[in-house]
Amino acid sequence: MFTQLLQLTANGLLLGAIYALNAMGLTLIFGVMEIINFAHGEFLMLAMYGAFFLNVWMGMGPYVAIVVVVPLFFVLGVAFQRLMIQPLLDSQEIAQIFATVGLSIVLSNGALFFFSADYQMVRTDYSLESLDLFGVYLGYTRIFAFAAVCMVALGLYLFMKRTYMGRAIRATAQDRRAAALMGVNVRRVYMITTGLGLACVGITGSVLSPIFSVFPSVGTQFGLIAFVVVVLGGMGNLAGAFFGGLIIGLVEAYSGFFLDPALKTVVYFVVFILILLVKPSGLFGSTVRENG
Amino acid sequence: MMQALGVKGLSGIGLLVALSPFWVGNPFYTDIIVTILYYAALSLAWNLVGGYAGQFSLGHTSFFGVGAYTSTLLFLNLDISPWFGMLAGGVLAAIMALLIFTPCFRLKGFYFCLVSIALAEVLRIIAVYWRGLTMGGVGLLLPVKPAWQNFLFESKYPYLIFALLLLLIMIGVTYWLGRSKLGYYLQAIREDESAAKAVGINVVRCKTIIMMISAFFTAVSGTFYAQYMMFIDPDIVFSMHMSIQVALFAIIGGVGTLAGPVLGAFLLVPLDAVMKGWLGTIYAGLGFVVYGAILIAVVMLMPDGIVKSAEAWMGRRRPKEIKEVEYLEDAVIPPPALEPPPGEILHVKGLCKSFGGLNAIYELDLSVRRGEIVGVIGPNGAGKTTLFSLISTFLKPDRGSVSFCGQDLGQMAPHSVCAMGLSRTFQVVRPFMHLSVLDNVATACLLRDPHVPRARERALEVLRFVGLGDQAHKPASSLTLPNRKRVELARALATRPSLILLDEVMAGLNPSEIRQIIELVRRISATGITLVVIEHVMKAIMSLSDRIVVINYGQKIAEGTPQEIVANPLVIEAYLGKETAHA
Repeated sequence: MFTQLLQLTANGLLLGAIYALNAMGLTLIFGVMEIINFAHGEFLMLAMYGAFFLNVWMGMGPYVAIVVVVPLFFVLGVAFQRLMIQPLLDSQEIAQIFATVGLSIVLSNGALFFFSADYQMVRTDYSLESLDLFGVYLGYTRIFAFAAVCMVALGLYLFMKRTYMGRAIRATAQDRRAAALMGVNVRRVYMITTGLGLACVGITGSVLSPIFSVFPSVGTQFGLIAFVVVVLGGMGNLAGAFFGGLIIGLVEAYSGFFLDPALKTVVYFVVFILILLVKPSGLFGSTVRENG
Repeated sequence: MMQALGVKGLSGIGLLVALSPFWVGNPFYTDIIVTILYYAALSLAWNLVGGYAGQFSLGHTSFFGVGAYTSTLLFLNLDISPWFGMLAGGVLAAIMALLIFTPCFRLKGFYFCLVSIALAEVLRIIAVYWRGLTMGGVGLLLPVKPAWQNFLFESKYPYLIFALLLLLIMIGVTYWLGRSKLGYYLQAIREDESAAKAVGINVVRCKTIIMMISAFFTAVSGTFYAQYMMFIDPDIVFSMHMSIQVALFAIIGGVGTLAGPVLGAFLLVPLDAVMKGWLGTIYAGLGFVVYGAILIAVVMLMPDGIVKSAEAWMGRRRPKEIKEVEYLEDAVIPPPALEPPPGEILHVKGLCKSFGGLNAIYELDLSVRRGEIVGVIGPNGAGKTTLFSLISTFLKPDRGSVSFCGQDLGQMAPHSVCAMGLSRTFQVVRPFMHLSVLDNVATACLLRDPHVPRARERALEVLRFVGLGDQAHKPASSLTLPNRKRVELARALATRPSLILLDEVMAGLNPSEIRQIIELVRRISATGITLVVIEHVMKAIMSLSDRIVVINYGQKIAEGTPQEIVANPLVIEAYLGKETAHA
């Protein structure tokens, strides 16, 4: 029983780390621009397809594919910011919500049209192998994913704390106008933030590709989980998103075991609604953007 | 007149189209018309929340699916007529809306969006999982037992009639809403929630009521869908695509209008049918790509939708019935709604409030007697506005108590405080910008009299009293600052308060405007209303006030008649610095 619990906990944390990275991309964009990107899950779907096709066409492993996918997604993020988010910043709320909803419909159904509804997966030699750690089995692909997430999270943390651009991003998140008056190039901050947000998605998609099948509507579920994690951690709070991701991973692992895997989504949505009822600012304080 | 004819003409054409299947007699065509009708009804139901409450639901299929499953399960398992099941589903959906969405209405708009998606997804998963009851993903088939009491018919025509009825009911509900107290309140909330609370509107309750109405009719449409299709499964009736489609129709036509959602359905449902016919299943997804692209284009380029844009383009946004109303000095306003007890009306004791270590208000006592004009002065940042926000319960104190007419306000919400007869104005004026001046004040009048036409009459009287009679039909956004301040004052007066907290109504005005406002404040006081006035214009406050309270660093440093205050060394020190005081 004890080993079983350990195994569940390990599974939960390894999975949660992936949710965490995905949610960090979402919360970063929200924290700075206060726009919820409802197409977030669909961008993840695209990243997974990216890693998949790089594998099929060029034989690239999923971790090598990161090198290609991430710069691409950074550029995609910058373009997304320029073309869609920037015009939305001064728009009515209805536009801020439904523009990205529309984008998510276009992307998921476009994928259906181009890639068909088939489930695809990147297969590697080590996909099915796992590390035996005193009776707890950890799949290699999940360990690699976990390691990648931790590295990115640490890197992002250092970037935010130590670099000029990181400070500029945090300053802009707190007060757009004051930051601009202090000489911060706000438009540049916005582009880089969105680029970074989508770069996170690019990494998540790549490390996910040997673990999860990719199909056109895969983004819906991952997108919803990202929203849950972001609310749990506090909207716009990067550290909150990281720990929130781990928590949701654990919730999913335990509820899948003790209840029924089919109901895990129900469980974390119940958690989500409870959080909104009890502590809408999230587990880790209010919209503590300073923590970023 | 032209407009009335236009509306009649359009309704006539609409009815003609709706009933056309009777002489066209093509089943495919009939099906499209039925689909248009119930989608238009659904879209109007969505619009009640999206358009009037300003809350954008992305999961309205929660209610749709609950309606479809409730009536179908009751029919299949207990042999209860779907006519009854339809009502049961509607009531169930309304209760669900009450329990789940009420808490969201305290939060920012996007939380509501997220919860609405989450709810639909949870219900879909439960419907898939609970095979014993719902047959899971296999879905439920209704038996072929055409009978009136089974809400099942061989011909499509009875469905057509019912769908048309449903649409007409939704049009009726929307029409009623635009002219009711609830409609006025929702409009005010959408414009400015804080200002809405200040005129006594219970924001959460208004949003909850409209959400419940919307949920009820969405569920009724769900039952209709089940009866019409004779088959439901979780992926159809809880699908996010359908939620978005319904929203899309309203958005394209024009959110918050009566014609918009109907127009959207009439335009897009046939387009959808045509695309399905042309593209077929080979091009799965392409139809929705078009939908998504239309959605993006509309919200980014024309967020007001077709109806409003067309009105603006045709220059028909001129307000109706422009009647210039003369300026009347002798207008009278009704007395306070509740007679306050004689003697002390407001009692503040030991009030404390700090913002992150900074004491904005510290150990403050204040007592106001009925009929007084009390001036509150102090340097910038002394905590005057914070004091007002604490008294009117917009902010909760850390310690201390406020009682009004002998009643403790500790646990009360701003709208109930307003209903008790304590009204406030905002330092930074917050009129409902897109409403006319008259509607701004009429909304406040509705607190004491829910009858809309009477409230509008009363509002006009109040506007005359403050000298804005000739501005009544202009939109509030077109007013100058001094007049906006008068609207603010009129709105406070319209709630028939016994005490008004006036927050810097003279700031930014020129001397002659200030004289007018002083005169106005005197006239308000003469009607028996007690006033507490924050002001920086010393001359004004000295001539107005019976008594003055001086605040500095959140503490009361002096209190007395104007003559006593000007001679008080502590006050001089606070305003001019230490050396001057001792000189």
